[in-house]
Amino acid sequence: MLWLWIALGVVAVLVVLVVVGYNRLVRLRNEADTGWANIDVQLQRRGDLIPNLIEAVRGYAAHERGVFEEVTKARAALQQAASPAAAGEANELVSAALGRLFAVAEAYPELRASENFLRLQDELTDTEDKISAARRYYNTTVMHYNTGIQSLPWVLVARPLGFREKEFFSAEGDTAVPQVAFPPQT
Amino acid sequence: MTLQQQIRRNRLRSGIVVVGFVVLLGIIAGLIGAVLDLRLGVVALLGAGLYAIFAIISSRRMVARMTGAQELAPEQLRPLRRLVENVSIAAGLPVTPEVRIVDDPAPNAFAAGIRPKTSYLGVTTGLLRVMPKRELEAVLGHEISHVRNRDTYLMTMATIFAGVIALIADLGFRMLLYGGGRSRRGGALVMVLAVVGLLLAPYAALLLKLSLSRRREFLADAGSAEILNDPEAMALALRRLQLDTTTVAYADASVAHLWVESPTSRVESERRGVMALSSLFDTHPPLEQRIAALEESGGFRLPERLSPDEPFAVELGLA
Repeated sequence: MLWLWIALGVVAVLVVLVVVGYNRLVRLRNEADTGWANIDVQLQRRGDLIPNLIEAVRGYAAHERGVFEEVTKARAALQQAASPAAAGEANELVSAALGRLFAVAEAYPELRASENFLRLQDELTDTEDKISAARRYYNTTVMHYNTGIQSLPWVLVARPLGFREKEFFSAEGDTAVPQVAFPPQT
Repeated sequence: MTLQQQIRRNRLRSGIVVVGFVVLLGIIAGLIGAVLDLRLGVVALLGAGLYAIFAIISSRRMVARMTGAQELAPEQLRPLRRLVENVSIAAGLPVTPEVRIVDDPAPNAFAAGIRPKTSYLGVTTGLLRVMPKRELEAVLGHEISHVRNRDTYLMTMATIFAGVIALIADLGFRMLLYGGGRSRRGGALVMVLAVVGLLLAPYAALLLKLSLSRRREFLADAGSAEILNDPEAMALALRRLQLDTTTVAYADASVAHLWVESPTSRVESERRGVMALSSLFDTHPPLEQRIAALEESGGFRLPERLSPDEPFAVELGLA
């Protein structure tokens, strides 16, 4: 009789552990998904601003066709990117192309004085900052999620349960996520 | 410990604080009931409950009044709003907290609000005039960590309950002293217990609140370092605060725990004599200790001199 109770107790503890652990993985996955949504919003906004910028610059510097093409191509690559890693790479291309466009714009004083252009430039700088802020959050959540499904015992069952590792959003391999230890409790 | 665990632990702790205070309140009311009048005890308990509810509802406005924080017009200080937006995106907050300005030369900042959605940050003009962008960002990261970790919630609760307990204990004590012989009941032992209990309860509540507050500061420093991936910026900002000796004019002691640095002067508390004891009554750990904790976890040493970068106020056109 005693053994039956012990067995029941062990089973009950195991069930609780499984439920808690599973819920934790679901929560970590949702956090990573939210983190991705935050990046996606900013990528969308960036993509929407670019055609306006090209229009604004074309009015003053119509013959700089090479740069326009480069920006348009990079933007298309960004919008077609199917995975976080691909989007990260495409995003770097967009940044580089925009940098060149702004460098070209330097040569046109009238353009630089245009209010519309200045506003667009300001907004694009802002989205770039926000993308890198959102990237920091996303990469941290992905790191926690991946660590969660790669550690025992979950590594054994994560795949059958539908937990797949997520990609970092990054370029040039800066996947290092800060590890700040919480200081000793005083 | 991940941040989510930290947040949940904080919520749990908030619950424990609330329960702890309710128990403390019950004891006080019981003591009042035992030595004076049972009905008085019940009235005291009801009054305390009503007051606490009122305080929770109006805490947001009360903090604004006590700190003198002003709301900004939408177009004002746009770069500052953007900075706050970026930091809260990096922190993964669902909503960017509002920014309010405290017109005060002392560099300081605070976070207030019960839920992240209704939270706001207060920043003094002094902070904008002193801090370069990188360090200002770290200070904002510290405040946003308070919002994200639900510290503002925990501390608002603790403050309100500490206030309620002080009020009731004081009332009970006065009634005991001046209430006259007729109303007193119970034996000598109960009487002594009541006097000691009513005298000590407010201090117990205060110490509980302050020890919570000090721990939150370390966590928010670490949170800022993690959000921005830049522990050095936080340490630099703290050093800059340390070198600055001005104190906030509106420094109401009841909201001292909200600020990034204790808004009242530390020199005063050092004069109190016994350091070990007086530090129990501090809302913040010493800046030196906070900087050391950051240096240790970040693996760096602060340079001797602070950077001569221009303060953020220049970019805002305030200087």
